[in-house]
Amino acid sequence: MKKWLSVLVFFSLSLSAVAAQDRVELFGYFESQAMGADIKDEFLLLYSNKLRVDLKSSLSERVTFAANFDYITFHGKTEWNILDFLPADVIAEVPAGTEAFYVLPFSDRHFLDNAYIKLSFKHFDLTVGKQQISLGTGYVWNPTDVFNIKELFDPTYEQPGHNAVRLDVPLGSMYTFTTLFSPEDTWKNSAKLIQLKGRISHFDYSLTGIEKVWRFHDYTQFDPVNMNFLELPGKRKLLGASTAGELLGLGVWAEYAYNWMENSEDFCELVVGTDYTFNFQTYMMIEYYRNTLGKTDYEQYNLNDWMRMIALEQKAISRDQIYALIQHPATDLMSVGISTIYSISDNSFALVPTLNYSFSDNVEIFAYLNFNFGKERKVFAKTMGNGGMIRARVYF
Amino acid sequence: MRRKKKIFSFPEIEILIKIVDSYSPHFKRNEVCFHVSRNIILKDGDNVLNRMKIKISINKNLIRMCGGNPMKQIIISGLIVLILAPFLYGQELTGEDIVQKVNDLFNVETAHAKAKMTIQTTSGQKRTFIYESWSKNKGEKNLVRYLEPRRVKDQATLMLNNADDIWMYFPRTQRVRKLASHAKKQKMQGSDFSYEDMGSGDAFINDFSPKRLKDEKMEGYDCYKLELTRKPDSDVSYSRLIMWVIKENFVPVVIDYYDEDDPTLHEKRLVESDIRVIDDIPTAMKVVMYNKNDNTQTELELLEVKYNITLADSMFTERGLKK
Repeated sequence: MKKWLSVLVFFSLSLSAVAAQDRVELFGYFESQAMGADIKDEFLLLYSNKLRVDLKSSLSERVTFAANFDYITFHGKTEWNILDFLPADVIAEVPAGTEAFYVLPFSDRHFLDNAYIKLSFKHFDLTVGKQQISLGTGYVWNPTDVFNIKELFDPTYEQPGHNAVRLDVPLGSMYTFTTLFSPEDTWKNSAKLIQLKGRISHFDYSLTGIEKVWRFHDYTQFDPVNMNFLELPGKRKLLGASTAGELLGLGVWAEYAYNWMENSEDFCELVVGTDYTFNFQTYMMIEYYRNTLGKTDYEQYNLNDWMRMIALEQKAISRDQIYALIQHPATDLMSVGISTIYSISDNSFALVPTLNYSFSDNVEIFAYLNFNFGKERKVFAKTMGNGGMIRARVYF
Repeated sequence: MRRKKKIFSFPEIEILIKIVDSYSPHFKRNEVCFHVSRNIILKDGDNVLNRMKIKISINKNLIRMCGGNPMKQIIISGLIVLILAPFLYGQELTGEDIVQKVNDLFNVETAHAKAKMTIQTTSGQKRTFIYESWSKNKGEKNLVRYLEPRRVKDQATLMLNNADDIWMYFPRTQRVRKLASHAKKQKMQGSDFSYEDMGSGDAFINDFSPKRLKDEKMEGYDCYKLELTRKPDSDVSYSRLIMWVIKENFVPVVIDYYDEDDPTLHEKRLVESDIRVIDDIPTAMKVVMYNKNDNTQTELELLEVKYNITLADSMFTERGLKK
């Protein structure tokens, strides 16, 4: 701990020194968060504190360097046994003697989340290093994004950085051609992306092709060499398209991806969404998501399905779902909302009331509660635990 | 060659002014844009009042005469001011003309501004934002980027095609989101301004039908008073607006906004003040929006303004948005 505190102090001092130079910005936020869930008649609590320090430097008109360092500490219930959430017949699939590996630990972490240099030339931008990769037009689900999976109850939270080399070439004012290479141990295993984005009338369009190794696990088999569940890497080739625009006064978007899998069944994903702001300031959004990898009958959900969803390896385990959100500014500093995620395939849903409050210019508070309404074995089963989260964030 | 003497009747001068006025958007504001040099005879019925050579210089805000001897000039100038000016500028400008001039004033070729927005809430708390904005092609392209507070730093909004196409950039997630035009109804950072209120291109012309009411004095200025009623096919958030436009420079010094469904319900009032001429353009350096329903107000103060500067088209693209 002392070692890492020293690292942090050194890092801060270094940044201060760098920030003293011209055109270097030092900023970030501190975030304190409490999460709770009612599991088996016990209300479990997990607290976390996160310090994010951002550094951004425009070394010249054409060269930008940006990085951020995250330090996160966890307190309270820092080990969650996933088996506590799962139905008895699914738990029966757990290989004998491996129960201890189904514990999800929340350990203190510190890491360089993003660190990249961006070179802006007259006709293209080149970004090299660890950077966020955001793909697709969907709000909760992004079929074309093979790099990230969003949290269902908190979909706008920032995504981690990925090591990559990215080239963006504007083609006139309406089109952009992008290629991205995210290196792994070999060229063959590295992720490659090409994308063409453009605008026709009032609609944005994109065509995306990606090749990436999908590293999901078989949670029914244990790998004694790596002391982890057996990894099943398989090459995934994706061809996708997305659009966003306006139709009959409504905001509309759609995203589709077809996935050719090396070792498993091919599948496709589709998102269709619409939103509207009423004159009385209420904002409404609905998004439909289909994933043919998901199952239509909840009786078929197995241990792998649950574990892959909890470990954020797979976006959904039921085939069809709808996300709906209504938000309204209750006062000039506070907005309240309620969202629901309804799994059409197994007829279960979660209700998530939310609150955003601007405490001061640079302090915001976000909170939600989540209530599950579904029988045991369904995606939003009551046994998954009702709970909530409150987060205060101070920007500096 | 000696000019032929010409008798200009008042209606003729009125027509002349109208012709000049129709060309006025092409002239730089506050510059003399048209000169008429004629030998004229002013008559009252059959009685010749005066014969002289005069020069009339006309621009949007000015009628100047010169020629003849000084005494005659004063007499004629007085006549023009007392008789012609109220007639020409008071009567012939229709509601459409005035709204067009207000629109021209807002939609300069290019502009760059740095502004401070202070929101005062019902509980008396304040929230302050500082942003930069750039516009091109008379407001057809707009880019807004927040500088402060840290919470929203580098968040940016790009509006093209008179805000029919809107994109927002969120630096924390590095996502660009395309928004439908209904997003214009949303409050700008929780302020009393919606994106729609900030003016998008030709909104006053496209969304409302103007009607000129009796002139009034407002905030110490002689003003044209207009009623703008929402057009049937428009989905703008207000049923009507009442606008007081300063006669001297066409700055809308006060605008009252009425409820979407109830045209009698006064929702918000916008007051412009500290009017300065910057790059020949009258500019309100301070704008306050009072929300009558919520009892809140938002003050917008221009810290820097520049007009008619060179802005590259590449600024108004996704690449420019993310910069």
